[in-house]
Amino acid sequence: MQNKSNYLLLLLSAVLLLSSCASRKVITSKYYFDNEKTLTNIEQSYKALYREKPFSVAFTDRSFNYISLEIITDSIKYMYEFEINEPRLQDTLLKYHLPVKGLTDLIVQMRSIHCIWINNLDYYTNNQKNYLVFMSIRPVAIHLPFTYEKYFILTFYAQPQYFDSEGRLLANRRVRKLRKINGDIFQRINDKVCYTISGTFR
Amino acid sequence: MIEQMLCQNLPPNRYFYATFLRTYSLLISCSYTRVVFCCIVVCIIGCGFTEVLAGENITVDTTPLSTQKQALTFLEKQADLKASTYWPKVPPVIFLQNLKKNIEQPLHIYEGRSTNFCAYAALSYLPLHDDPLGYVKFMVKLYREGKAIYGKEYFEPTKAVKLAAGTLTFKGELDIRPADQIWFLSLADHFKGYLNFFDRHFDFGDENKMWAAVNFSKFNRMIRMLFNYHVDAVGSDLIRPGVRDVFEYLSDRLKTGNVALFVNNPNLYKKNHTRLKLSIPTHFIILLNIEEVDDRIAFTYWDYGGRSLQLLSPAFLKKIIFGISHITKKPADAK
Repeated sequence: MQNKSNYLLLLLSAVLLLSSCASRKVITSKYYFDNEKTLTNIEQSYKALYREKPFSVAFTDRSFNYISLEIITDSIKYMYEFEINEPRLQDTLLKYHLPVKGLTDLIVQMRSIHCIWINNLDYYTNNQKNYLVFMSIRPVAIHLPFTYEKYFILTFYAQPQYFDSEGRLLANRRVRKLRKINGDIFQRINDKVCYTISGTFR
Repeated sequence: MIEQMLCQNLPPNRYFYATFLRTYSLLISCSYTRVVFCCIVVCIIGCGFTEVLAGENITVDTTPLSTQKQALTFLEKQADLKASTYWPKVPPVIFLQNLKKNIEQPLHIYEGRSTNFCAYAALSYLPLHDDPLGYVKFMVKLYREGKAIYGKEYFEPTKAVKLAAGTLTFKGELDIRPADQIWFLSLADHFKGYLNFFDRHFDFGDENKMWAAVNFSKFNRMIRMLFNYHVDAVGSDLIRPGVRDVFEYLSDRLKTGNVALFVNNPNLYKKNHTRLKLSIPTHFIILLNIEEVDDRIAFTYWDYGGRSLQLLSPAFLKKIIFGISHITKKPADAK
């Protein structure tokens, strides 16, 4: 009996130890194809809204009830936090001339696929400034204890990109150097969309 | 008699010396001790003079100040700047354009994406606003000669740094700002703190690593040594400052000088979806304005090449701040 409980204790310890070292379930490009329509909708509507007024949106909590809205002007960036159903959110959108319906629809879509951040990032090729849409998705699989959160990151480019034989994003056609974004190497999904798994969401 | 003489001649703040001499005057009867005594007196007088001279120097030892116009005029005269052999990857034209942009738009200096240059960018706020001429003179000399003196510091960056400047990529706008790359890399190469203990030599990619990291004390030291400001700092790398009312404290300090804050970045950018969070400061920002709006605090600061405004609760503000540096100019009439 004593031996049996010892074995059980040992087994439990081993499971705990293994789970503490395990990483999250690895999400691959399959996620993109499963949710392609929604993801493309989010990207397109964000780009259209951004053209009207530059901004970014992030969900700040695990239950996807609070957002951080960054409104970018020439001189200053305003950062506000709202509960998604709060009337203050609409007032602020109106104050800064942001389309209320477009933005609330975007927030609903982002929430539906657990997209925690969307932003427009600048990057440089041959000293020319370009923009990409950067989207972070928080997987909802069971979170193992003692592990850092991992995020599924998607980048959407306006032009087709260059990749090496392993499908990794390159700096440009001439320089066969891997392009890193926030220190991460990206993999090809299609000519204009790449993904990576990252420890940081922005 | 000696006692009287000493007390009369020495100023009140030299009372310590007077007491000291009074004690030793008892030993004067012996000739040997008389010689020793004379030596001590000479030393003390010497020290006293040094102190007085140092005191006089304070009046000249002011924070250097200049104007944007002076800096731009200086840059215009550098049109014939030749390509530097010390910085082979930095073309002179782009170098000068970058400096000009920094002077014209000092808030736009940008540390780059995912680098550890935030402290160097934050402290750049000071010379770009108060002494742009000093900054451009240093940069041009460093570019031309590969070495230069800034404030009390002699810079001669390592070869690895000189080869890397102008080649940093995937950092956003920093990619096309080679003068800023020279500036940040040279500062990181020159100043060392305990965080850099295990990574003291620059290797490519170290701009994102501990080689470039800055602790609170190193940050304040850099400001004192380079720009000759007076820096009053509270806080540390791990423990928050014991300030009861952060709003009042910061608004008071902001009235009399610049304020730099050492903050916890993930909290500042509201990342609450992780369970495992380290509560340590990781980011330097410059406080620009602070005011109360109802029960919240409107907190305007500079970081990442621009101004940001956030509405925060007083408790949250207190939670994210680990270090407060109050930076004041040393005026010409300072004693």
